[in-house]
Amino acid sequence: MSENKSKPLRDRIAKAIKGESTPGVDPEIVRELAKLLEETGLSEIEIERGGVRVRVARGTAAPAAASQTPSPAAQQPQPSQTEPEVVRRQGTVVTSPMVGTVYLSPEPGAAPFVKVGDSVTDGTLCIIEAMKTMNPVPSTVAGRIAEIYVHDSQPVEFGEPLMLIE
Amino acid sequence: MFEKVLIANRGEIALRVNRACKEMGIATVAIHSTADADSMHVRLADESVCVGPPPASQSYLNIPAIISACEITGADAIHPGYGFLSENAHFADIVKAHGITFIGPEADHIRLMGDKIAAKRAVKSLGIPTVPGSDGAIGSESEAADLAKEMGYPVLIKASAGGGGRGMKVARSPSELSLAFSTARAEAKAAFGDDSVYMEKYLEKPRHIEIQVIADSHGKVLHLGERDCSLQRRHQKVWEEAPSPALNVEARNQIGKVVTQALTTLGYLGVGTVEFLYENGQFFFIEMNTRLQVEHPVTELVTGLDLVREQIRIADGSHLELEQSDVVIAGHAIECRINAENAFTFHPSPGKITDFHAPGGLGVRMDSAVYAGYRIPPYYDSLVGKLIVHGRSRNECLMRLRRALDELVIGGIETTIPLFQELIKQPDILDGEYNIHWLEHYLARRSPGAAT
Repeated sequence: MSENKSKPLRDRIAKAIKGESTPGVDPEIVRELAKLLEETGLSEIEIERGGVRVRVARGTAAPAAASQTPSPAAQQPQPSQTEPEVVRRQGTVVTSPMVGTVYLSPEPGAAPFVKVGDSVTDGTLCIIEAMKTMNPVPSTVAGRIAEIYVHDSQPVEFGEPLMLIE
Repeated sequence: MFEKVLIANRGEIALRVNRACKEMGIATVAIHSTADADSMHVRLADESVCVGPPPASQSYLNIPAIISACEITGADAIHPGYGFLSENAHFADIVKAHGITFIGPEADHIRLMGDKIAAKRAVKSLGIPTVPGSDGAIGSESEAADLAKEMGYPVLIKASAGGGGRGMKVARSPSELSLAFSTARAEAKAAFGDDSVYMEKYLEKPRHIEIQVIADSHGKVLHLGERDCSLQRRHQKVWEEAPSPALNVEARNQIGKVVTQALTTLGYLGVGTVEFLYENGQFFFIEMNTRLQVEHPVTELVTGLDLVREQIRIADGSHLELEQSDVVIAGHAIECRINAENAFTFHPSPGKITDFHAPGGLGVRMDSAVYAGYRIPPYYDSLVGKLIVHGRSRNECLMRLRRALDELVIGGIETTIPLFQELIKQPDILDGEYNIHWLEHYLARRSPGAAT
């Protein structure tokens, strides 16, 4: 990275880190992703946690914008430009009410309770096993399953995001 | 040796346990409430599990969540710290039933010492001197009046399910007895769910001297000397020191021998503290704590032993590698409990710690889990940290404590540091001449009319 190109890049990342252009985003995440991008030579890294998606990609021309729906920016091969893009999803995040292991199906091999795209009202989304008891987790709102953040048999803690319902 | 220990506690003691585990190469799991997600030990532990919302009943006292956290992380032992579930025999039973090692005494001994009437009866039969009093619970007010007349006033009515200074009422004369008795029962019922009370002679000017014991699973019981915890406010210890300014080597060895013999007969396991009131050269048992205590560092500094490490080794079935003659009390140690309170009104001062600088240098130890930027949650106790210093003599220790208190910086909140800076200038403290009422009398003299 040459000196004169790195200055505007540094400013944009600094702005993102301070949360001025993208309020509510943990600046650490942005910093880490930008670093990973440089180190690995990848063109794009994206993570999503609890309804907030952060995507860092090379070569996106427009500054970061918070928007309702994800809009993949055009990618041009400009290796020294990286832009953080933050998308905050609308909807309710259903979190785990207890510590245990989450199962997405009533039994191993059976169909999952819900899939992305399903409409739900108050039915069971998943079950959490704790101390040999199975505890169903009902949906708290009516809507459509937008995201499932956990995989089957994953250990979960209290408050861990399970699903996003839009 | 355990692969992974789950620390069922928070704050400075959770950090203390994390440190011992790390030094032994044991992986750690920190459990925490949502309010403690940013705490020091959560950051330093290998894994963390959020077990619930802020209230202790839904997090640190939430047995199913804690057991579940063990299951999902594969922890093979739990260290309960102090407070919370550390003296909950039911918890110890459940932990054991799940094939997890509870780092502590047998559940039956926790249960025994948790019932103050049964504990007193048990230790008396094992040869430990006790405060003269009722033999068991007192059934009626007239029984109380008769016994008090026989023992002589003043008397103390104590809740059997109490402990730690809670649930006690003094009656100085027959006219005060009725109210003391009925109030004690009512408060005991409300606070502990059990209104059984017993009576003891009220000692006027005793010191609080406690003996640290440690026992392995092969029948070896040792004592590690005493701690003098007489400086208390509302039955909460504020300053502890080892050895006690009031005891000489003979007195220590004598009471140590009585205590170790009793606990050997009992078959005790792990660490524990036998608490006494000491007056006119005599020891009177008040209670036994079947866990690690807040003030354990003063014993660590004068004996050179890591008590948490020993707890873990003992729980794993290892032998205590010392004999009683190897336990040497070297020098002097003093601990000051620093709370987030106004030093003289004791009004709580929660909030964000803007600056934190721990004192250092030879013989200075700061056991604290706070850091600059840390916000003290309002849901738990107000202990910010413990400053413990060691010196080759009590005088050197006092000089070092004064120096360390002047270096210690905790900005952004009010703390009790100014109280300690005053105490180390008081002639009685410098002479070691104080008893369990000294601090409250000092505070009352200092600001007459203020709540002490």
